[in-house]
Amino acid sequence: MSGRAFEAFLTRIYVDAAACARFRANPRAEARSAGLSEEECTALENTDWVGLEMAARSFAHKRGLKRKKHLRTSFRNTLRSLFATFSARFRRN
Amino acid sequence: MNKFTDRVGLGWRADLAAGIFSNLDRIDLLEVIADDFFNAPRREVRALQTLASQVSVVLHGVGMGLASSAPVEAKRLEKMGQLVEQVRPQFWSEHLAFVRGGGLEIGHLAAPPRTVDTVEGAAKNMSRATAIVSSKPIMENIATLIDPPGSTLSESAWISGILASSDCDLLLDLHNVYANSLNHGYDPKAFLRQIPAARFRAIHIAGGKFISAPDGSQRLLDDHLHDVPDPVFDLLEEAAALSPNSLTVILERDGAYPSMDCLLAQMELARQALARGRARRAVAEEVLV
Repeated sequence: MSGRAFEAFLTRIYVDAAACARFRANPRAEARSAGLSEEECTALENTDWVGLEMAARSFAHKRGLKRKKHLRTSFRNTLRSLFATFSARFRRN
Repeated sequence: MNKFTDRVGLGWRADLAAGIFSNLDRIDLLEVIADDFFNAPRREVRALQTLASQVSVVLHGVGMGLASSAPVEAKRLEKMGQLVEQVRPQFWSEHLAFVRGGGLEIGHLAAPPRTVDTVEGAAKNMSRATAIVSSKPIMENIATLIDPPGSTLSESAWISGILASSDCDLLLDLHNVYANSLNHGYDPKAFLRQIPAARFRAIHIAGGKFISAPDGSQRLLDDHLHDVPDPVFDLLEEAAALSPNSLTVILERDGAYPSMDCLLAQMELARQALARGRARRAVAEEVLV
């Protein structure tokens, strides 16, 4: 197996719903179009389909939580720097 | 007499801070998510340093993706190295997972294909991590809802292969073992006997919930939002019976927080499971002598 290309393919079907749907409809063709070897294409035909759907859903949920956390952190840091800026100006005046 | 100095700690979460500070005499150590501090303001890092001066701290990384055929990015390791230098934890840990590929982020820990390629890739990444961070990581087994496509090795053979190819020890997540054993049909106690117990260094315990699959079956999701189930304490007893090392056990809870008393009670159950396992080990050692 060619390691990196295979992991990149898995990543795509985990995060891209359209790519995942194409893969489910025709696993060998989708794997071939990603440049994977015949051995890899055969391995992917035996995918744990139930697990794939559940894992993709779980990963999407985690990405959503991360986005929310990132927004909260950015908002908090923005407020902090604004507060620091105004505090400094207030002290100078 | 028990010759081991096993310790039981808790994952540091800001929501639990008040309860943690009120019960430091019952918490042997805290595990802090390192990635939360990689780009944090200096005062947050200073607060972490103050915490580490009061209680033993270990750092836990979640975003490196060391179990990959792709080389881990140096900048991620440098950030960990800087934080390790600032905080001086007892150890740092990461996961046997990949988290990105082809320029895309999965957003969570994914199980790579269990192959010779990923054994070699993980060993190289762990060696690179040790060199850049200046201390070796302890590596954690992960839970996976999907049987990793393209695998040619069993999970136990894959983990054993990585440990044999590196000098890093194992952070054995027992809820992940339990979840994978239910989801992919193996005996979790047999699994523990198939991996090298001499490399058990730390242990995670946590809880999860069953979720429905599209075909009507159920799989166990390791969400860290529920109490530790009894079978995980049984596995902890088993791990303590097998391990020749003192163990650091950490209770992970990421939300839906119960009372601090409830978390402390689970930590006490962990201590009891460790004691049962150590007693079994002592009996077995006496028989051998």
